[in-house]
Amino acid sequence: MNNIFLITKREFLTQVKKKSFIILTLLAPVMIIAFGAVIGLMFKANESHTIIEVVDNSGIFKDQLKSTDKINYVFVPIIEKKTKIKNLKGNESLDGILILPEMNSQNFDDLEKNTRLVINTKIGFDTKQRIISDISNVVKKEKIKQLGIAESQLNNLDKSFNLKTINVSDDNKEDSDLTFGVKTGLSMGLMYVTFMFIIIYGVRVMRSVLEEKNNRVVEIIISSVKPFELMMGKILGVTMVALTQFIIWISMSVIGALILNTGFSSIQKNIPGGDEDMMSKLDVAQIATQVSHSLLELNFPLIIFVFIVFFLLGYIFYSSIYAAIGSAVDNETETQQFTLFAILPLTLGMYGSFSVMNNPDGPLGVWLSIIPFTSPVAMIARIPYGVPAWQIALSIGLLLVTTIFMIFLAGKIYRVGILMYGNKATLKELWKWIRG
Amino acid sequence: MLKAEHITKTYNAGKKTALEDFSIHVPKGSIYGLLGPNGAGKTSFIRIINQITQADSGDVFINGQKLNPNHIKDIGYMPEERGLYKNMSVGDQIIYFGELKGMSKNEAQNEAKKWFEKLHIDQWWKKKLSELSKGMAQKIQFVVTVLHRPHLLILDEPFSGFDPVNANLIKDQIIELKNNGTTIILSTHRMESVEEMCDYVALIDNSKKIIDGRVFDVREKFKKNIFGITLSEVNEDQLLNFKNKYGIFNLSTENNLVSFELKNEADQNSIISDLVHVGKVRSFDEKIPSMNEVFINAVGNHS
Repeated sequence: MNNIFLITKREFLTQVKKKSFIILTLLAPVMIIAFGAVIGLMFKANESHTIIEVVDNSGIFKDQLKSTDKINYVFVPIIEKKTKIKNLKGNESLDGILILPEMNSQNFDDLEKNTRLVINTKIGFDTKQRIISDISNVVKKEKIKQLGIAESQLNNLDKSFNLKTINVSDDNKEDSDLTFGVKTGLSMGLMYVTFMFIIIYGVRVMRSVLEEKNNRVVEIIISSVKPFELMMGKILGVTMVALTQFIIWISMSVIGALILNTGFSSIQKNIPGGDEDMMSKLDVAQIATQVSHSLLELNFPLIIFVFIVFFLLGYIFYSSIYAAIGSAVDNETETQQFTLFAILPLTLGMYGSFSVMNNPDGPLGVWLSIIPFTSPVAMIARIPYGVPAWQIALSIGLLLVTTIFMIFLAGKIYRVGILMYGNKATLKELWKWIRG
Repeated sequence: MLKAEHITKTYNAGKKTALEDFSIHVPKGSIYGLLGPNGAGKTSFIRIINQITQADSGDVFINGQKLNPNHIKDIGYMPEERGLYKNMSVGDQIIYFGELKGMSKNEAQNEAKKWFEKLHIDQWWKKKLSELSKGMAQKIQFVVTVLHRPHLLILDEPFSGFDPVNANLIKDQIIELKNNGTTIILSTHRMESVEEMCDYVALIDNSKKIIDGRVFDVREKFKKNIFGITLSEVNEDQLLNFKNKYGIFNLSTENNLVSFELKNEADQNSIISDLVHVGKVRSFDEKIPSMNEVFINAVGNHS
C-alpha cells in the first residue's frame, strides 16, 4: 500500500510540475473564453447601425416610432423633403429616408400604398424587416385605438393561460419543455466531460507506462515493487492529476462567473431602457429563475453521487486498458491499433446516448447504461432524467466487477509486457500473457 | 548467503528454456561471477532472485530462508538495461528509489550525500538527468543500487558504458563493499572484465551451468601444464639439446631475447635447472588459462 502511495505521489508531482501541464491548465479556460469572444465579435462586427430620416406627413408616427439600438429614426421637418432626397446621394452618414404620406380619413391601405423608403446604398434584409415591423406596430396600435379598445383591455386579452400540472406519481413527472432542455444540457455536459477526461487521461496513463518502458527504468522499479502496485500507482497518480485540473477549472469558472455576474448587473443598471428593454429583461430573468428552478428540482445528491462513481470507475476501467496497451508496445505509433479497442466502445456509448436524449427510458438507453463498456458515459447521460434505483445498482455492481476484472487482466498483460522489448505483441501473445 | 537449487525456467509455454536444473551457492561476503554469453540465462536467473519472475521449479534460499518479498529490501539490483527518469532531478530520483526500498526521506538523503562525496559528484544533486552524460548517469545508477545498504548486490554487466577511469572507480567501490561484508553477484558476458575481481564463478552456457567454484580452482582444473620461458644470452647448442629433451614450440627471437613455450607434466624445478645452461632466465611462468579460455574449453568438453 505504501508503495502504491509513493508511486502515486511521484506520478502526480512530476506531471503537475511539468510546464505543459501548468500552461494548459491555466490557459485552456482563457482560450475557450477568448475563442467565444472572437466568435461573438465576428457576429458583432457584421452588425451595423442604421440611420433613417423620417418625413412624417401623417403626424401619427412622431411619438410612436421609437429608435432602437439598431435603427435610429430621425424626424425631419416636412419642408426639407426634396432637398433631403437630393442630399442623400453620396451622404455616408445617412442610410435612408422614410417618407410617410398624409393620412386621409384613417385609410391605412392608402398609407401602405404611398409609404416609401428611399435608400442610399443597400440595406440588409434584417434592417428592412425591422423597419416594417416598427411601422406595423404603430399602425396596429392606431387601428386598435380606432376600434375604441383601451390599452389595459388589450393587455388583458394578450394574457397567456398557465396550466398547472399536479403529479400523482413522482417518478413519471411530465417535464415542461424548458425543464427537459435543462436536463438535456446537463446530461450532454456531464457525458462530454466524462468522455473527454477518460480519453485524455487514459492516454496519459499509457504514455507514462511507455515512458518508463523506454527509459528502461521499469526493471529497477519492479525489483522493488510489484508490477501491479506500479500500475495502480500510476493510474491513481494520473487520476489525481485529472482531479486537480478539474478542480482548478471549476474554481476558475466559478470565479469568472462571479466577476461576469457583477459586471452584468452593473451594466444593466446603467442602461436607461425603454419598455421593450424592460420586457426582454423580464424574460431573461424569468427564464433564469425557471432554469435554476428546474435545476433545483433535480435530485442533485444522486446525480453527483452517480457522476463520481461512474466517472471514477469508468476512468479506472479504461485507464487499465490503456496501461496494458502501453506495456505491450514499444512506442506510441504502435499503440494505434490497440487504442481502437478502448475508444470504440466508449464512442459507441456516447453516440448511443444521443438517443437517450429523445427517450431516456428506451431499451437502447437502458442497455447502454447497464453494459459496463458503455455505462460510464451512458448512465451519466441518463441520470438527470431519473433512473430507477435497481438499474443504477445493477449498473454500478456490473461496472465494479468488470473494472476489478479488467485491472486483473491488465495487470497480467502489464507484468509481462513491461519487460518485453523490441517487438510489438500480437493479440495472440497478449492472450498467452493473460493465461500465463 | 544465497543458494539456488535446481532452478528451471521456461518461456512461451515451455518452448524456450532459459534455465535448466541450475544450482549455485554464493558464499557470504564474496564476489561471485556469473559468466556466459548473451542469452545463456544469466538475466533470467537474476530476475528470479529479484522476484521479477518466478522459477517453474526449484528454490532459492537467502541465508537459509526461502526467497520471499521481505528479501527485496535487502537486495540491490542494477539491471543490464540502465534506466532513470529523464526529466526528474537527480536528488528527487534518488530519494524516490530509496523510499521504494523502504528508507525514510532523510535516511535516503544522508546516505546519498555520502556516496556523492565518494564519487565526486556532489554538485549534481539538483540537475536533471537529461543534463548529464551517459557516464554520469551510470554513476547515479550505481548510487541508486547501493543506496539502501543491501546485503546482496546484483550487478548485471556492471562496467558496460563506463570509461576506464570510472570503471576503476566503481571497481574500487565494489571491492570496498565486499570488504565490508556485502555479497556481490556480477553477471557479464565479457569475462575478462571481471575475472580478477571474482572469488567464485559459475560458467553458464545455453541455460545450463557448465562449471562453478573458486576462480583459482576452476582455472587450475583447465590448465594444460604449459610454461612460457624467456631467456637472454642464449647458447644455441644448449638450446638445441634442450629442445630435443622437452620439445618446445612458439619459438621467437626479438632483441636477443628468446622466448618459447613447452608442455611438461614433470617437475618444474628440473626444467629450470636445465634452462640455466641454455641462457639467463628472464622469466618463467606457468600459462594459467584466462576465463575466456576456460569457457571455450569447458563448453567444448561439455558438448
